[in-house]
Order: sequence, then structure tokens, then C-alpha cells
Amino acid sequence: MINLVLAARADAEARYVVRLNDRQSNDFGANDALLVDERPDRKIYSSAFGLLEIRVADESCFDRDVVSVDPQRGLVERLVRSSSPHNTFLATERCDQLCVMCSQPPKKTHVDRWAEFEMAARLALPDALLGISGGEPTLFRRELFALIEAVQADRPDLSWHILSNGQHFCEDDISQLSSEAFLRVTWGIPIYAAAAPLHDEIVGKEGAYRQLREGLDVLLRSGAHVELRTVILSSNLDHLPALAHHAGLHLGFCDQWSIMQLEAAGFAKNRFADLFVPTAGRFAPIGEAIDAAELYGLPVALFNFPRCHIPKNYRGHAVASISDWKRKFASACAECHERSACGGFFEWHPAKAMGAVPL
Amino acid sequence: MGEFTSNASGRFYLKPRNSTEADQEFLVANGFAIASDDRLAWHSHHARVLARLAKPEKLDYLILVPTLRCNLACSYCQVSRAPLRASGFDWNEKTTSAIEEMLDGLATNAIKIEFQGGEPTLRLDLVKRIIDRCDRFAERSFVICTNLSEVGPELLDLLERADVSVSTSLDGSSLVHSAQRTRSTAMTDQFLRNLREIIARFGPGKVSALPTINQSSPPPVDELIDAFADFGFESIHLRPVNFQGFARKRHPSSAEDHRAWWAYHEEFVHRLIARNHEDRSRVLEESYFSLCLRRMFRLGIDRHVDLRNPNPLGTDYLVIDYDGQLYPTDEARMLARSGIVDLSIGTVVDGLDVEKLAVLNAYSTTIGDPACDACPYQPYCGRDLVDDLSRYGRIDLPQHETFFCQKHLYMFDLAVHLIYSHDPAVRYSLARWLGLAGEYLPPQVVLA
Repeated sequence: MINLVLAARADAEARYVVRLNDRQSNDFGANDALLVDERPDRKIYSSAFGLLEIRVADESCFDRDVVSVDPQRGLVERLVRSSSPHNTFLATERCDQLCVMCSQPPKKTHVDRWAEFEMAARLALPDALLGISGGEPTLFRRELFALIEAVQADRPDLSWHILSNGQHFCEDDISQLSSEAFLRVTWGIPIYAAAAPLHDEIVGKEGAYRQLREGLDVLLRSGAHVELRTVILSSNLDHLPALAHHAGLHLGFCDQWSIMQLEAAGFAKNRFADLFVPTAGRFAPIGEAIDAAELYGLPVALFNFPRCHIPKNYRGHAVASISDWKRKFASACAECHERSACGGFFEWHPAKAMGAVPL
Repeated sequence: MGEFTSNASGRFYLKPRNSTEADQEFLVANGFAIASDDRLAWHSHHARVLARLAKPEKLDYLILVPTLRCNLACSYCQVSRAPLRASGFDWNEKTTSAIEEMLDGLATNAIKIEFQGGEPTLRLDLVKRIIDRCDRFAERSFVICTNLSEVGPELLDLLERADVSVSTSLDGSSLVHSAQRTRSTAMTDQFLRNLREIIARFGPGKVSALPTINQSSPPPVDELIDAFADFGFESIHLRPVNFQGFARKRHPSSAEDHRAWWAYHEEFVHRLIARNHEDRSRVLEESYFSLCLRRMFRLGIDRHVDLRNPNPLGTDYLVIDYDGQLYPTDEARMLARSGIVDLSIGTVVDGLDVEKLAVLNAYSTTIGDPACDACPYQPYCGRDLVDDLSRYGRIDLPQHETFFCQKHLYMFDLAVHLIYSHDPAVRYSLARWLGLAGEYLPPQVVLA
């Protein structure tokens, strides 16, 4: 595990966002902080907001990281880690769904951090890919669109990946969604079944499937980039080929279909035994779905599947998807020849459900 | 086997003899009908129909002929050639600099250049000048089409670049190759040594090879496959002699009925299927058939300029001949050389002849052609104006009377037969040619 939140002390009183730098460079702006002192257990930075002391437990490198500083709570949050391709802003914890396996259960409260995210994005390294997730980010669709438009106007090099249930787009959004600012935005849209009852049951919201298809229609007509995402559950595994047929038929405009193994977090933690399907011996419906979608030109990627749980001929579809800061391997993985290509397991994956077989 | 039915987006199903008419549920489930309130299905259908159309835009693919001179005189020579020692058959300085300037002005980040001839390695100095001029492009791909008669250190140096590869002719066994191309066993041996050396040094991916087949006496299928498989080549484009230029004079029979050729092609594909099933260590394919097959399932496979619709000339690719003349295709260049019809569309110095191009392109689509509109293969098929001109001197023949149409009717008929075959060996090869991970092509839609 890599800690994204660290203890800190700051001169300032209000929250602020800075980019941490080990050395001076000629692109320094008002939100750059320079490392001025370094001890084994702390790093001290100086910026226009005053001094900032960050507690460190190991030899972490923060150079060119963007952090938000919360002096009141004595914390810094690493919003954009320069060394990582996995940087995601949590737009809100509110959601209008209650997915049975939600890894990030929703909350009623909302903390408005759009201004912080905008500043952080502006300070990100060139060509960075930034994620936005929730909760449901499009509950704040106006703010979200404004963020993308404002940042892309100055930083057209950035790309975005936004996780959304796709149910809050409307016809009037098409002109915005198809504008230049959204060229480098990919919408990650979950779909769990091609049948309303099953999809609605999984996401805990009646009418969700119908609204989702309307949202997908808006994205199609906007020429938006869309990544379909399906988490494998005991309830939808056998339905996967039917979903693949539907995707090949009507969702071929999407860039990719990501089929994902379950993460034992949030709601799924306590329901893991009920929801989780160990696919090592039950891969057939997944294989069938992959072939059906790929045949019609919809590329399929397998996320969160350790390579040893995938039959050899389908392993080319596997993506080492688990973010570095929440990835672990089983002890058996030490001798695996494919470990470097493998995404391993989520840090919180139950040890007895790993079943790793060295390749 | 029944009736093959498709719609404009390219969806298809098979209606076996004696089957009932499709009901609404079947049609909706397979993309042939849409519920009136299903806007997603409606728009995605229309998006697919539009995506079936090729959208050639920026010029990013050039076929360059730095010299027409050649050190071989093959019996079927495709391009007309000039003797090795002749003068006036290479780019002059004016032409070369005009091409360089043209490259500077291209509005693309990706460039693909094929050096044709003649034998382009006779003028590697010109080839290098062009390659050097392309440094500014983010993506580059250069193919040197050479007979590999002589491979010197200069060519080997050039091949060290990851963006340079060679394409060559391999007509089959040494005997056939000698008869059709080199006219001498010693020269064929030299060619085979050169080919082996390049593959040993750079791997089989550095070279693509294709055979030119004499239709009146094609080699035994397995002999031809072996000739390629022995070098590690897995993709074979079975290409009959194209009756133009020299070839027309020496192979009069090639203009006759092509039925025997289709039969040969079919036998070839079936042997590939059997051999792929027996030896799983590699996958052999007939690349043009694979292309037809992929177009039946997928959208946007339009980079093959011989099979796309519409297929406007002089837009995204262009041929520049040894004398700086511009042609829309390599075949067009041959037609001009052989005096059949002058299809030059300008010169690299003076630019494109836009008016002539517009006349040529007046009929560059199958959409609206009565024969094509009635054909279930229309979504997958294409248009080849130059082929029509070369064979019939006109572009308005009823399509079903053209060679192009008959060839593709044959190709797609074969594809349909194979797609609906129950033979596991067939389904295995189809899955490979379509790039699927699963062992067999999944069963496709059949009306009950």
C-alpha cells in the first residue's frame, strides 16, 4: 500500500493546493513549493502559502506531486502523484445508485472540491491522464463540464477518464460533449446486464437500465469515447454472453469493454462469498462473451484478473489494472514467470480466495 | 445452403431452405428491426451504416517509383520495365526535389511509402533521400518492393531501421520462380540466399512476400504453401497474373473465364484450413480472403485501397512515377505504360489535375448502383474503377458483368459457406483469421 494521505503541519490556515518540487525550475508559479529541508522522518517545503512540513515513513519521493494541504486537520492529500498513471479525483460521495458490490459506498454529504481539482489538474505533468470518480460525478454535471472545459482550454495535453453511471446526460448536453474540450475524455460506464430487471437489481435502482441506455444514446450521438465496464458477479456471470451479443449489436461505438473481477471492498467486503465468482474453473461464459464482442470489433479487456485465473489463449486480454497503491501478490506469485505482466490482487482481497498458481 | 440476408449496416443471417419467415422478435434481436422507442438501437444502427463508408481524407500513402529500370525481366512484368543500362528512366533532380517539397507540405502525422519499380534498390540514394525527408512524421512506414536479386550493405544498413521493411515476389518452388522471374537457376539460388539472409538477420516480420500465379498452369497447392511456410511466411496473397503491360502480350489466356482460378483459390483456402488444424504452431492465411472475411464483421477496415467503398481516387494515396507523373493507382500507371488509357492525373511538379480526377471519381461508389444495391455483399464490398477501365475501357458496365464483381461474389460466397460450416477445422481457422482468442468461430445467426 502507498499512502495517499500523510500527516503534515502548515503555516497557512486555509486549505490550498501546491505542487511539490525537489528543485527549482523555470516553470515555477504561484502554486509551486520547493523542498528546503529533508530529515529521515519529514520533508519541509516553502511556498507562497508559507512553510509545509510533511511526515514521511519511508524514502518517498514527492517531486512534481500535486497535493492539497488541510492545515486544520494536519493532513496533505496526494491528488496527483507524478510517478503514477493512476490519479483519480473523488468528485463526490453522493450517488443515486446503491450497487450491491459498491467498493466506495455512497454518503449523503458532499464536499465541494471542484476548485482544488481544477488547480491540481493545471499543475499535473504534461500529457497526464486524470481520473474522476465518485459517488456519481454527473450529479454535479454542470461543475464537472465546467472543470473539463476550463482545464482543457489551458491544458489540451491532458486526458480524462470519468467514471459515471451514465444516467444524467440529456439531449442538450450533446453540443458540449461533442466539443473540442471533451475530445480527450473517456467515459467509463458500467453495464451489468442487457436486461433491465437484472441490471436494475444489481445497481439497486429501478429504471436504471432504461436511463443508462438513454445516456449511452447521448454519448453515441456526441461521438464521445466510452469504456463499458462490467463487474463479474455470481448473478450476471452466465448472462455475460447475452450482454456481449447486445454490446456487439448496439454498443459497437464504444472504445472498449472492460470485464472486471470483483473488488472485496465497500459493500462487497461482507458479501464477498455471495457475490464473488472464482473464474479459474468457470471461465467459459467470459470467453464466449469476449469472442462475441471482439468478433464485431469491440475490444475486450479483463481487469483485476490475475493471469493464472485466465485460460492461456485469453490471457492477451488481461490488463495489469490494479492501481499500484492497492496491489498485492500471493506468496505463490514469487516464482511466477508472468508476475511482471500481472495485475495481482487487490490489497484487501481475501487471502483464502486468491488461489494463485505460478505460471 | 439457403439465403444470405444482410442489411446496410452489414448485419447478416442465414435463412435455410424451408425455414419460416423471420418474425419480429428475431429481427429485433439481430439488428434487423428496432422497437420504435429504442433510440440507442436506432442511432447505433445508423452509425454503423455510416461507418461502413470509407472516409479517405488526407494524403498519407505514396507509391514511389524512383526508377523504372530493372535487373530482371519477368514474363508477366506488372509495370513495364526499362533495361538496366537505359537512361532517362530515373527521377531527375527536379522531380526528386518536387517530391521532397510535396512531403514537406503533407497535412499528416503518419506517412506510409512504398518504393516500387523497376527495381528501387538500383537507386537507394533516392530512396534514402526520401526516407530522410520523412523525419518530421511521428509515424513512418517504408516498404521497399525489391526482387532481392542483389542485396548490398547499403540495403542491409537501411533495413536496420525499424520503420523499413521489404516486400518481394516468391512465385513458389525454385523451378517456377526461375521460369517466371529469373530465367536462371543460379539467379534464383542467389535470390533465395538473399531472402534467407534477411530473414535470419531481421526475422520473418521484416519481409512480406507474395506469389504471382500463372492462371493457366498454377503450381500444386501444397508446393506453393510449402514454399512460403518454409520461410516462416504465414500470410500469402494469392495473386493471379494481372493482364496488363508485358503480361497481356505473353499470357493471352489470362483474359479468359476465371472459374478455374476461383476453384484453385478455394482449394488453396481449404488446404490452409486443413494444415492449420493439423499444425497448431502457426497460422497460415490467404490475406485477401481474410480481408473479405474481416469486413463482414467489422467496421473501418478501409486501409486496403483495393476493397473499400466509396473508393475515390487521388485522395489518400498516390503513385509518383519515374518521370514525375501522378497516377491514382499502380494499375493506372501500368495502363498508361501499356498504352491502353492515360490515367495520369497530373505531375508532381505541376500538381493534381483536379478536373480529370473529378471525372474519374464521378462513379467511385457502389451506393446507387442497381446491381450493388440489390446485393447482400454490398456493405463489405468495394469499387475499383481502374480495374473496370483496364478490362472494359469504361466504368459503367453493369457491375455483375465485371471481373471485380465476380471475384468478390466468389470471395463472399466462400466466406459465407465457411462461416456457416460445422467443420471444426474450418471454424478453427476462421477464428484465427478473425483474431479471436477462442478456439472456434462462434456459431452465427441462423433463422430457425
